[in-house]
Amino acid sequence: MTERSRELESACKDYEEDLVLHYYGECGDADRKRIVGHLTDCTRCRHFVDDLQRLLPQMGKTEEMPQVFWDNYYRETIAKLDAQDERKPWWRSCLVFTHGWMVPAFGTVGIIVLIVGLLFGRGNLSIFNDRSPVKIPQEVLVDSNQLEFFKSMDLLESLDRLEQQDGTKGELNNTHTERVSFDRQVT
Amino acid sequence: MKTSHSLILIFALCLPLVAGRAAGADDNWRNLSPREKDRVQRNYQRWQNLPPRDKEHLREEWNRWQNLPQDQRERLKQRFDDQRRDRRRD
Repeated sequence: MTERSRELESACKDYEEDLVLHYYGECGDADRKRIVGHLTDCTRCRHFVDDLQRLLPQMGKTEEMPQVFWDNYYRETIAKLDAQDERKPWWRSCLVFTHGWMVPAFGTVGIIVLIVGLLFGRGNLSIFNDRSPVKIPQEVLVDSNQLEFFKSMDLLESLDRLEQQDGTKGELNNTHTERVSFDRQVT
Repeated sequence: MKTSHSLILIFALCLPLVAGRAAGADDNWRNLSPREKDRVQRNYQRWQNLPPRDKEHLREEWNRWQNLPQDQRERLKQRFDDQRRDRRRD
């Protein structure tokens, strides 16, 4: 335990970096003389350099593994890959040919389908059912005033007569009577 | 590649806005009942074949109708519906 604590002993703060450089032989002559002089006086720093000399070579060393280890490693890897292939769902095989560009393409198509579905689904597919032989311009369809006009056209054609029957129109407008009788067109 | 992804993203973000506006504009028509739609289509077709003078007359009648008091409009509409119903029955 005392051996272990000695291994963890640190150097003087001012010399720690210089000692590492000294160990690798990367300091100048002046620094080297200064460090060597310090090492003769300082036990802690001497232990620190000893530790460097003892531990650093071990860190760089790679452990040689026997051939049996690599054979086992290879067999285990192959077995894991086989097991993963067996676990893969059947539909994954359909996506083998999907390239990188197909992902955003399918994403865009999906978004378009979603939007179209939401739009048409909102009206219970009424857009499909509303296809009519008469093509009404868009400006009429979006204008509630015009829609109301065409909805009430039958009534407008009979407005004079209705007012007469209602007694709200005392006298007929002569210009209206001279015009084409729209009442005939009311079905 | 990055540019095309950006374009796709912008397109995907703008599409709902455009589609939403188009759908909102069609709401007036979609809110009509099938019978009302049928009537609008029939009258629109008839309107296209009317001479300009009759069209003008109908426009005048429309303006007059809109300026009538609400109770009178309802009364006239009720009378019109009753008569149409009677005609169908005959």
